[in-house]
Amino acid sequence: MEIDRETNEDNSRRIQVRFLTKLKAPYKVPTTAIAIPSDLSRFGLSSIVNKLLQAVDSEWKTEPFDFLINGELVRMSLEQFLLAKGISAEKILEIEYIVAVAPRKEEEPSLHDDWVSAVDGSSPWFILTGCYDGLGRVWKGAGWCTHILEGHSGPISSVSIINSEGAGSATVATASKDQTLRLWKFDAEDSSDHPARIRAFKILRGHNASIHSVAAKTSGDLVCSGSWDCTINLWRTNDSDTDGDVVTIKKRKVKNKAEESQSEGEAVSTLVGHTQCVSCVVWPQHETIYSASWDHSVRRWDVETGKDLSDIFCGKVLNCIDIGGEGSALIAAGGSDPILRIWDPRKPGTSAPVFQFSSHSSWISACKWLNRSSFHLLSSSYDGKVMLWDLRTAWPLAIIDTHKDKVLCADWWKGDSVVSGGVDALLQISSDICIQ
Amino acid sequence: MIETDFIEIGNNDGLDDNRDQDELSESSPSHQAVDESDSSEDEVSPRNTIGEVPLEWYKDEKHIGYDIAGKKITKKERRDKLDSFLASADDSKIWRKIYDEYNDEEVELTKEETKLIHRLLKGKAPHAEFDPYAPYVDWFKWDDAKHPLSNAPEPKRRFIPSKWESKKVVEYVRAIRKGLIKFDQPKEEPHFYLLWGDDSSSADRTKHLAYIPPPKPKLPGHEESYNPSLEYIPTQEEINSYQLMYEEDRPKFIPKRFTSFRSIPAYENAIKDSFERCLDLYLCPRARKKRINIDPESLKPKLPSRKDLRPYPVTCYLEYRGHEGAVLSISVEPSGQWIASGSKDGTVRIWEVETGRCLRVWDIGEAVQHVAWNPLSELPILAVSAGPDVLILNTGFGNEEEQKKVKELLHIGTPTSSDDSDDMSSFLSWVQDEKHDCIRLRHYRTVSSIEWHRKGDYLSTVMPAGESRAILIHQLSKKLTQKLPFKLHGLPVSSVFHPTRSIFFVATKKIVRVYDLLKQKLIKKLETHLREVSSIAVHPTGDNVIVGSKEGKLCWFDMDLSTKPYKTLKCHPKDITNVAFHRSYPLFASCSDDCTAYVFHGMVYADLNQNPLIVPLEILRGHTSSDGRGVLDCKFHPRQPWLFTAGADSSVKLYCH
Repeated sequence: MEIDRETNEDNSRRIQVRFLTKLKAPYKVPTTAIAIPSDLSRFGLSSIVNKLLQAVDSEWKTEPFDFLINGELVRMSLEQFLLAKGISAEKILEIEYIVAVAPRKEEEPSLHDDWVSAVDGSSPWFILTGCYDGLGRVWKGAGWCTHILEGHSGPISSVSIINSEGAGSATVATASKDQTLRLWKFDAEDSSDHPARIRAFKILRGHNASIHSVAAKTSGDLVCSGSWDCTINLWRTNDSDTDGDVVTIKKRKVKNKAEESQSEGEAVSTLVGHTQCVSCVVWPQHETIYSASWDHSVRRWDVETGKDLSDIFCGKVLNCIDIGGEGSALIAAGGSDPILRIWDPRKPGTSAPVFQFSSHSSWISACKWLNRSSFHLLSSSYDGKVMLWDLRTAWPLAIIDTHKDKVLCADWWKGDSVVSGGVDALLQISSDICIQ
Repeated sequence: MIETDFIEIGNNDGLDDNRDQDELSESSPSHQAVDESDSSEDEVSPRNTIGEVPLEWYKDEKHIGYDIAGKKITKKERRDKLDSFLASADDSKIWRKIYDEYNDEEVELTKEETKLIHRLLKGKAPHAEFDPYAPYVDWFKWDDAKHPLSNAPEPKRRFIPSKWESKKVVEYVRAIRKGLIKFDQPKEEPHFYLLWGDDSSSADRTKHLAYIPPPKPKLPGHEESYNPSLEYIPTQEEINSYQLMYEEDRPKFIPKRFTSFRSIPAYENAIKDSFERCLDLYLCPRARKKRINIDPESLKPKLPSRKDLRPYPVTCYLEYRGHEGAVLSISVEPSGQWIASGSKDGTVRIWEVETGRCLRVWDIGEAVQHVAWNPLSELPILAVSAGPDVLILNTGFGNEEEQKKVKELLHIGTPTSSDDSDDMSSFLSWVQDEKHDCIRLRHYRTVSSIEWHRKGDYLSTVMPAGESRAILIHQLSKKLTQKLPFKLHGLPVSSVFHPTRSIFFVATKKIVRVYDLLKQKLIKKLETHLREVSSIAVHPTGDNVIVGSKEGKLCWFDMDLSTKPYKTLKCHPKDITNVAFHRSYPLFASCSDDCTAYVFHGMVYADLNQNPLIVPLEILRGHTSSDGRGVLDCKFHPRQPWLFTAGADSSVKLYCH
């Protein structure tokens, strides 16, 4: 072929390969075997595929690709890879290519007044951020703020979208260092240029120290929160009309000056067991809460009984945790060291992590699995970087270093974007990430 | 008769034997006649040549041995009892016959032999010729000797056992039985010795004075010859150049040439050399130098590996930046969520530990010497010393109820000091500070350090220049101030409350004094032997104290053990500015002006017999020097194995495990 002739001046070894893909029509290349030099790395392979595509379609724009051999991403030269994995170079090598996972577009940063401490991108219609100035903000897109959630007297430490059916009304929860949680309702359809200031419809009091993390049940009727007082509290999210009304009436008398009715809620139950600050909670399944704590443990709680079912000890302070991956069972957690650890709780008799990613250089502040993939996750760190990871390689897929200081929070948005906020008071949206 | 019988029965060999015997018996009298020997056995050599072997060996053989020619001597046929009896009855000479087992033959004794036996049996001399009563012939003649050797008859005492001797023996026997006399144990001679071993070591073994061989002089070479070749003779220039050299470097011997042996002059230095030799022997006696062959590695104490002592702070991940001057003091909130720092720029800041965010700033206006959080987590107040003032700040943390309590506590209704009759009011006043909404304790001298009691109500302050009122104890709930009821010797540097009991430590420049506050008396004086103590920290169990000094030494006191340091660690090249113990992990740290902080493992065992284990773990670097000052304060996180350090470079760093 053409490419062969171009590159065969050098005396390196050549390998017979066949490029395969699961991608749709414009990305397909002819599946004939071709000989390529063995010292090609990912970039060389990518240019070959691009040239092949160009040969088919002259209008083709170059696109970075990633290559999988036997289910593992190629991150070195082909020869080294084959040597390391002990794959024979004699027979035809089948290389699967996928579109490289990397943000292709950096949107305008969304300016905040203070450090961005929390972000939630679980709703495709908006992004919810929490800020150190005590305000929560709802963003429709880059630089387009629609709502400001006003009421906390301390910095917001965590936000969570409880439910947002369609583009319409949405319920969200925010946790703050003023020891309260607030629940908010707003219409996500609203799209005025001036952000609407709204007040919480419910204030949840009960923690004795600043709250670190909040997570909502998938059904949306309960939220749980982890706090510095070492407890996890469960709260009802429904409006005052059901069971919180006794409290509501009392408070209304005191606060009758408030224009809007604000009800107060008390904790439904408390999960006690951690010995230090509960830094992160997640509620991935119906009856199970996972929590990470500064006492170096990850615990799994049964909501019905309030007992903790299993512990994983890691030896380091944990700051973030997420459940996802293959079968939504892998636990990813990061903390006071630059290593992102992933445990498989289904593996019996061991508490050693199955994966350890250590490309960061400081504390890890957030980690999130991508919902629809079993391989991809992101992590953000105090070294100012957000990294995208694939379980099939030990190197990060992409490094987003648009932040100038510590990154405090990061999340996926709409399945193809990464939103992250940090000490530079910016919400960065890195979009157009292609993940099959 | 018998002999014929023998011939009939025996074979040819037997016949020969008999003949031999006959010959022998014939010859024997002739022999006896020739010389008067005692026994005839000597002459008649035994026929059998087997020697002195047990005859049993030949019991089952047909022969009994070999004759002199090497032929087998066949056994005679054994006669049965009846035959032998008949033979003996017939033979009249049977009483003279003896069976010789060895030669397997019968021997007939001669008449002389029987007589000899008779004489022996009677107890006489066996030979008839021997006369036992022959006249005595003296071999030595005394006739003309003047003095006989001894003419005296043998005295009687020679024949009687000595009474005194027997007494002495009894005495010794008793002494031995009582164990008064001990015998030297027989020395165990080594069975083997090193045949080819070094002579010098064998000289050591003997108890003699060790012989030290003199150093071997160099053998003379060609240049020492009286007529060396020309190339050995130095030229005049070389000889001149010797004069310029130092006397020690000068060659001792300059080769010279003489045409003949007789023209060699006398050695000019003979007397000087022998004098010097005598001086050497007298002044520098040779001594055997004992070289110790010990591996220096083996002398090091065996310490556990650092890996086994994890976790301990190693890397700096977080920095708290914002101060504009050197950070003089830090304090960690008891739950570990916030830290407070006081700086030379006159501000006090509170930081969030996990993110490094500055949450609050107070501008005091004067360099903040010391900050201290109240040890109660439900009482979030901060004591700050700036110049002569101590401020008790309300941090504003905690929920509303806690805030209410704090506000009540920090409110001074009426000036309480005015109605106090004692003279304290002139030295100290409790004032409400409107600007920061706090209590201001106005001292009369600069306050260098503050220390809360564990219950959070009492507060001790140290004024190094305060003389008799150098250390004051304030009670926050009653707004009262007391001075320490002890006489202080020397300048106080720092003071610490015991973590569990009502004991108070006061560190002066040389000595740490330990007081019991309830009994109001001095318990102990810990002598540091340091030049100047700079800081002190007490182990959470209370029995161990570490003291840092301005010469960079760190002393560990085990108060149960002694009042002297259990260990002195010389680690910092510059002043130690502060020392700290971890509340739960077995860690302690020291920080110094050399911009480093050292982390040690300091395990205190519950078992009193076991000494504390101290292992240096890590040197934490990262701060930069400013105005000659390095790290000014270090504090451990209360729950994590993390260390906060405050530097003169106006940053606070957090080192994590």
